[in-house]
Amino acid sequence: MISQWPSWIWMIALPIVTSPFIYLLGRLFQRARDASELKQRLQGRAQRKPWRANPVRWVSLAVMLASCVPFVAAWRELADGASLQFTVGIVALKFDGISLLLSAAVLVLGVLVSIFSGPYIGHESGQEKYHALLNAMIGAMLGLGCAADLFNLWVWFETAAIASYMLVAYHSDRAASLEAGMKYLVQNSVGSMLVLIGIGLVFSQTGTLNLAQLRTAIAAGTGSRPLLLASGALFCVGFGVKIAMVPMHTWLPDAHSQAPSGISAMLSGVVIETGLVALLRALSVLADLSSAWGAILLAFGAVNMIVGNLLALRQTQVKRLLAFSSLTHVGYMLLGLGFAVSFGQLEGAQGGVFHLLTHAAMKGLAFLAAGSLLFALRVARGDSGPLEAADLAGAARRYPVTALALTVALLGLGGLPPLGGFMSKWQIFASGVRTGSPVAIALVVFAVLNSLLSLAYYAPLVSMMYRKAPSDVVTSGAAIPTGMTVPLVLLVLVVVALGVWPALANGLTVPAGQVVLSIFSRQGGM
Amino acid sequence: MSNDAWTIAMAAVLGLVAIGIYGMLIVRNLIKVVVALQIFAKGTILVMVAAGGISGKPAVGQSLAITVIVADTVVTVMALALAIQVRRWCGTLDTRVISRLRR
Amino acid sequence: MVFSVDYLRGEEGQGRYYALVLFFIGAMVGLVLSANLLMVVIFWEITALCSWALISFNNDDPKAVAGGIKALIVTGLGGVGLLAGSLAIYAQVGSFDIPTFMARANGFPPRLLAWIGFGFLAAAAAKSAQFPFQTWLPDAMEAPTPISALIHAATMVNAGVYLLARFSPVFSGVPGWSLSVLAVGAVSAFIAATMAAVANDLKRVLAWSTVSQLGFMVYAIGAGAVFQSQFHLLSHSVFKALLFLAAGAVIHSVGTRDMRSMGGLSRKMPLTCAVFIIGSLALAGIPPVNGFWSKEMILGAGLTRGPFWAYIIMLVTVGLTALYTLRCVWMVFFAPAEDRHVHEAGPAMKVALIPLAIGSLVTWLLAGPFQALLERTLPLHFPAAVADSGGLKGTWAIASEVLTAPSTWIALGVVALGAFLWTVRSPFKGIGARLRPVRRAAEAGYGFEAINRGIMRGVQGMGEGLRSTQSGLLNWNVAAIVMAVIAVLCAVWLVAGQGG
Repeated sequence: MISQWPSWIWMIALPIVTSPFIYLLGRLFQRARDASELKQRLQGRAQRKPWRANPVRWVSLAVMLASCVPFVAAWRELADGASLQFTVGIVALKFDGISLLLSAAVLVLGVLVSIFSGPYIGHESGQEKYHALLNAMIGAMLGLGCAADLFNLWVWFETAAIASYMLVAYHSDRAASLEAGMKYLVQNSVGSMLVLIGIGLVFSQTGTLNLAQLRTAIAAGTGSRPLLLASGALFCVGFGVKIAMVPMHTWLPDAHSQAPSGISAMLSGVVIETGLVALLRALSVLADLSSAWGAILLAFGAVNMIVGNLLALRQTQVKRLLAFSSLTHVGYMLLGLGFAVSFGQLEGAQGGVFHLLTHAAMKGLAFLAAGSLLFALRVARGDSGPLEAADLAGAARRYPVTALALTVALLGLGGLPPLGGFMSKWQIFASGVRTGSPVAIALVVFAVLNSLLSLAYYAPLVSMMYRKAPSDVVTSGAAIPTGMTVPLVLLVLVVVALGVWPALANGLTVPAGQVVLSIFSRQGGM
Repeated sequence: MSNDAWTIAMAAVLGLVAIGIYGMLIVRNLIKVVVALQIFAKGTILVMVAAGGISGKPAVGQSLAITVIVADTVVTVMALALAIQVRRWCGTLDTRVISRLRR
Repeated sequence: MVFSVDYLRGEEGQGRYYALVLFFIGAMVGLVLSANLLMVVIFWEITALCSWALISFNNDDPKAVAGGIKALIVTGLGGVGLLAGSLAIYAQVGSFDIPTFMARANGFPPRLLAWIGFGFLAAAAAKSAQFPFQTWLPDAMEAPTPISALIHAATMVNAGVYLLARFSPVFSGVPGWSLSVLAVGAVSAFIAATMAAVANDLKRVLAWSTVSQLGFMVYAIGAGAVFQSQFHLLSHSVFKALLFLAAGAVIHSVGTRDMRSMGGLSRKMPLTCAVFIIGSLALAGIPPVNGFWSKEMILGAGLTRGPFWAYIIMLVTVGLTALYTLRCVWMVFFAPAEDRHVHEAGPAMKVALIPLAIGSLVTWLLAGPFQALLERTLPLHFPAAVADSGGLKGTWAIASEVLTAPSTWIALGVVALGAFLWTVRSPFKGIGARLRPVRRAAEAGYGFEAINRGIMRGVQGMGEGLRSTQSGLLNWNVAAIVMAVIAVLCAVWLVAGQGG
């Protein structure tokens, strides 16, 4: 039976299936190393030669690269117009434009984070857990992108969430990371329970869970309207916790700033966006019921932008600042998608998903670069404190590449050309103005002003790095390993390339935008 | 499943969810927070079973419920593990005392 | 660039400096040459980015950092107008092509066109440091002096004027647009001149004079005199770059920018003094230097085509210009001062200064060819030419017209009056004392600084206040989720109630 599986299923299956083996391998290696060291110490000999680094990081990377192969194959097939569906029992999977875009973002960032994390946690004893969980989380997110039934969507969502809880609380001997993990777990569980109630209500009214069937059934007027509307509201809030829509965002700054930097990059770059995709898929089945969904997305978008900016404005810790700025960027995505849902703007849908892509690259880059600096200035010296903005003073002289990478990321996030963030924001704004609705245009102006406001906290960080007088920690900072610099350089290239030549992303954003639009197109006449 | 049974089930769900949320709003002890979360989760499981009943697909509803129970158990186990670590490294389970990350 | 070699010698981060300068020049050229609105917006923002990076080039100085961010935010604020306008044009025309837009602008709904026009005006005013966005330019003077010369006097600030000039044929039909442009220019020219007259920082004087001169150009566009405006832009670029570089040489050797502690430099730095005076003559509008010709042309056009009150403001401004220029030259080069060791500008600095000085003396000769060029390339802008023929003959025609126009002699009279007022200032001490409140207001930037600060404090206060909502307490966080559930349920119910 397995031989009949389409190849793209392996993209999802590979990371998940190998994840326990990665853990096992790393554990065995660790034990062998500990035993050998103990033996040497007992024999009173000095260590002859230090053991090589734990190979678990390479295995993990290899698995992720391997899942890129079926992804590319699936991309080809999809571009040729094939319809990629797969059903086992009541579990339905479908690889469409949205899956394509999300998988691309997840895989690229996953590979780079995997490279980055090797040296970042290479000296810690629990790294096999880290890599195994990272793989599981990535597999679950890939699955979520392809889920074609409502419950299935929730299962992938919860799997990814469970893996990410453990990753956030990875440093289980630090009070701060435990606190962040605990808050993240409780709040996200509340969110996912709300989603589950919504799913239950939809199921009770229609008797099916398949997204496509649900869409036709609900368009035909099946079920009690108030209950279905209530379930839509529950989806908004439940997934909204994961997407960090204000006011459900309170877990995000803690979790994103306390997680290991590679995980912060994943969380901010793709995990919250995964929630967005899940929300879109879930809401789409209710598209025919009400015009409220688009308005809700737009409203949350506007609130997110301003609250994120204002909260970030006075932050002094770099990672916490970046975490708050994620709120703002989710706001832009919600805006673009809201234009798509409310006004049927293809450009808005494309802009929204394009911003998803550029944000993944830019925020991933920002967190990885901040992580490199955190590593050099704090972690490598056994200091578990946060990276303060003042610590960055003079970083550009000692760590020119890393500082440049962080600069590119910050300016891109601030929406300055010629970087990726400008192009994606531009597309969202253009779609908003094209709707011709005064509310949409007002929202666009509001968004542009917010973009400007965000420069008020990005720019000082950059200035801080290019100071001449270095801070104490920079003077005594450690070197940054090459393995951590390579992903930065690659992501800088991506951010600049998307800014100079945005059409590069069309292969991903156009199909995804079309899917968003098609699943939200109203079938019945209400 | 009759409509009356559905109504009763929904009332029970509302009760469980309300108790769970109320618990999470007022309780400070982490273990109690986990208990409140569990009560909330029981409500959602009841929704699944009832939904299977009312829609005429009890088997599907029950399989969904079992899946939820599994996921819920994993989450609970992790929450308790975290609580143990919190007790070990912070010396207390009071959420107000361990909450240092703010602003 | 050449000047920078001496100026920045021995400083760090030169690679970054030159890279940014080249990036800026590229963007500026792109901005001017591009026929696509999207590219214009992109280059517009890139110039802002470079300007920010170069103003705060010396990142250790908090004033430089603050000045840079202020420039970035204020110009960005105006840039919203350009961006929104461009998007509106795109939504209407379906492309970003400027000629297409210009050709089809008549078909636009008038209100939309008005919005676009005023959006562009806001963008231009912010970029060119015009009223009410003028405050960023003096603070931008924390930049290395060559940057001040290049970006904040000669090129980037002219982008706003360029934008207005380029789109003026389209928007001149919008009711109130021309008058607004004219008023913005006149008000900026006037208040900037008063501020220049009281400033003690050499570079700030020059910065305010830049704002004032840009006001002349904007005023000219408002009066429909695009050629005159562009010609003044050319003259101004040359003589203001000269002034800035000369000032840079002075500052570099004296080590301060406060004019009160300068003085008596005419003997120590004869060359710098000479070129500075040439530049000052141009700024004050004294013949035969280039500033004279272009400014007189603007005033001539203003008298015939603009409203009379604006002309009077401009005339007063001309007098003020002469006054503060003379004050500045006197304080820097001729005021009595104790002896101290200063050195003449380095060779690379000289190489940059001398051509600019010659340029200030002769570029007015280009008036004829320049006009012919503009007419050829921008047919939409020139229904009626000032002179009939191009080349040097055209120059002569323009020159004679300027010399015979009555406005020229009025203006020269006012210049002389201004200069006279400064030279014999002692009898007017009493009036000066009575004008002290005005002086203090001018020093405080007429309250615009206060507004800026107020907005900044307000936003930061909001940020700080909002942070207290991030209580970090689990109970409250769950409460927020519950409230969101209730709010969204209500919203959905409301929309459904309205039949949505």
